[in-house]
Amino acid sequence: MATLELDSITKTFQDGDDEIVAVDDISMSIDDGEFLVVVGPSGCGKSTTLRMIAGLETITSGTISLGDRVINDVPSQERDIAMVFQSYALYPHMTVRQNMSFGLEESTDLPDDEISRMVSETADLLDIPSLLDRKPSDLSGGQQQRVALGRAIVRDPEVFLMDEPLSNLDAKLRAQMRTELQRLQDDLGVTTVYVTHDQTEAMTMGDRIAILDGGELQQIATPLECYHEPANQFVASFLGEPSMNFFDVTLEGDRLVGDAFEYPVGAEIRDDVGDVTDLVLGIRPESVELVEAAGGDHDFEMTVDVVEPMGDENTLYLQFDPDADSEGAATLVATTDGLTPVSSGEAVVARIPEEAIHLFDRNTGEALHNRSMEEAAQQIDLS
Amino acid sequence: MKDDTLRTDGGTATITDRLRRNVEQMTIEDAGLYVVLLLAAGFYLVPIESGLVTSIKTGTAIVQTAPFAPPGPSGFTLAKWQAAVEALLRGMGNSMLYAVPATIISAFVGSITAYGLTIPDWKQSYKALVLALIIAGIFIPYQAVLVPLTQFWSQWAQLTDLLSFVWALGIPDDYVGIVELVVTHVAYGIPICTLLFRTYYKTMSEEMIESARLDGATLRRVYRRIVFPLSGPMFAVVLIYQFTQIWNDLLFTLVLVSTESSPAAPVVLILAGLGTSMEGQDFALRMAGAFFAALPTLAVYIFFGDEFAEGVAA
Repeated sequence: MATLELDSITKTFQDGDDEIVAVDDISMSIDDGEFLVVVGPSGCGKSTTLRMIAGLETITSGTISLGDRVINDVPSQERDIAMVFQSYALYPHMTVRQNMSFGLEESTDLPDDEISRMVSETADLLDIPSLLDRKPSDLSGGQQQRVALGRAIVRDPEVFLMDEPLSNLDAKLRAQMRTELQRLQDDLGVTTVYVTHDQTEAMTMGDRIAILDGGELQQIATPLECYHEPANQFVASFLGEPSMNFFDVTLEGDRLVGDAFEYPVGAEIRDDVGDVTDLVLGIRPESVELVEAAGGDHDFEMTVDVVEPMGDENTLYLQFDPDADSEGAATLVATTDGLTPVSSGEAVVARIPEEAIHLFDRNTGEALHNRSMEEAAQQIDLS
Repeated sequence: MKDDTLRTDGGTATITDRLRRNVEQMTIEDAGLYVVLLLAAGFYLVPIESGLVTSIKTGTAIVQTAPFAPPGPSGFTLAKWQAAVEALLRGMGNSMLYAVPATIISAFVGSITAYGLTIPDWKQSYKALVLALIIAGIFIPYQAVLVPLTQFWSQWAQLTDLLSFVWALGIPDDYVGIVELVVTHVAYGIPICTLLFRTYYKTMSEEMIESARLDGATLRRVYRRIVFPLSGPMFAVVLIYQFTQIWNDLLFTLVLVSTESSPAAPVVLILAGLGTSMEGQDFALRMAGAFFAALPTLAVYIFFGDEFAEGVAA
């Protein structure tokens, strides 16, 4: 087991005369036994990063090291890394047992009986001993997924790489495997890099998450830090479902002035903002509160445009100006308790609590003010 | 149709029941389609049927009956088949001697070449250049190389001298022609085999190969344990194609072995002269010989049929 270290790695592809930067100067350090989830929209460079760690892509510049060994030029087969692919990539002509033994046969000098003992052990761990003599084509998607995992686990590598391993499973199985994978990784304590575009997987599975966009690392932190203290507007919008509300505002004196509303802010927030005046106000839907009557500068009388009942909660689309046509008008998304009856067209009062707002620089996207983690935690305690 | 074997509900429909149901459901269009299909099948089968019946007719029956009509009891004879088998049997052995090795070697070399051109990571432009050169080989007509080919074997690579230790064992040195045929057919077969395998390997899951590499397998081992075992269907296609091609080729045998009297004469060479004489053509003998000489290629098709279908579909 060892620390995996990426030091300003860059990957460019040549496309005719154009140079396409797929991964741009990414540095991160993954601790021994850590579960790091790399997340981002498609085309953000997350898979390329993973493939560079695996040695399946060359590195244009920068270094990757495992422990104190630089592995830039070490061929894939000598890196002691196991990878689980989205398509599982099982060998179709081999039985499950042969699939799982293959890596040990190729990468070690272990005697046959030792290999078969390790394969049975791993099969027990994954609850698949009954599948050992079947071919991959006879297995369901979930079973193939387990075999693919088993094939990686049995090798007991330094690092696991997983490239969207759950995205071919149906929703229910995916949720189940998510938990199981976490448990397995915990038990095995193998350093894991897990690539996904699914923010639920990112939030729930990782010790830390690394968020990539356009080949650049946006933020690397624990899931809750990324959620409550996003480094920039991209991270804020990427995590959370429904995603954060954003309003373009300008700081005029002690008020944030937007198209549809004005919002006074305290001195502490103004200090954070400094002399930037073009801002974006962000507020998470669950931080918006519905109150009985307008009782302050942070309360707004609004109209319910659409209600999406989810069972446990309702997602409300609120409008500042009831007469504006629903396209283009400033809309505030709020989530409320699923049992509170709200219907479309109703007038409500929404409170945007000052301690829950985020402010971003409109030009750079950088976060200037975030709600603090302690406050967020307190709010959770209270509820 | 595997209909009845696949049925698991314990259906007990008898053949007559099913037949009746089929007839009841038939429309005019269906009937028309079947009529056309039957006519087309007949059209294609007539030459083969004519050949077959001709091969079992006596000389007089050939003159007296239509080519496709069966011989009467008096006009029936198997003597021509007997004669054909006697004449061709030694040629069959000789043909096998070069067709089998040449087929296997060209398929195998083609497979490895294609593997080298698809799976490993090397510069795309070099790959394209090598591939272009190989593909160009497909388009060189046999006739164009006949002279250089004879010159090559008679002046540059004089196998008769090189293999003198073989002739010392008592094997007639005519068999040098067989060795030359093997090498020539392998060289000529590699381009098409490479192209066929390359197309197949292009469709192989890249992730599976990468997975094998990450599992610690070297390039050679990936071929041995993953790519080669999965090439079965394409091997069937290439084996059938190459075997038929090599078995039926007359041009190279004419140039390299040349005389049908040679102990190493391949079947095609003997067949070419079978049943022709100053007195005219012995049609029955020629037909019997043609059918007999075609049996091995037919056997190959039947033997690899299932894999062939799978490989062609891929």
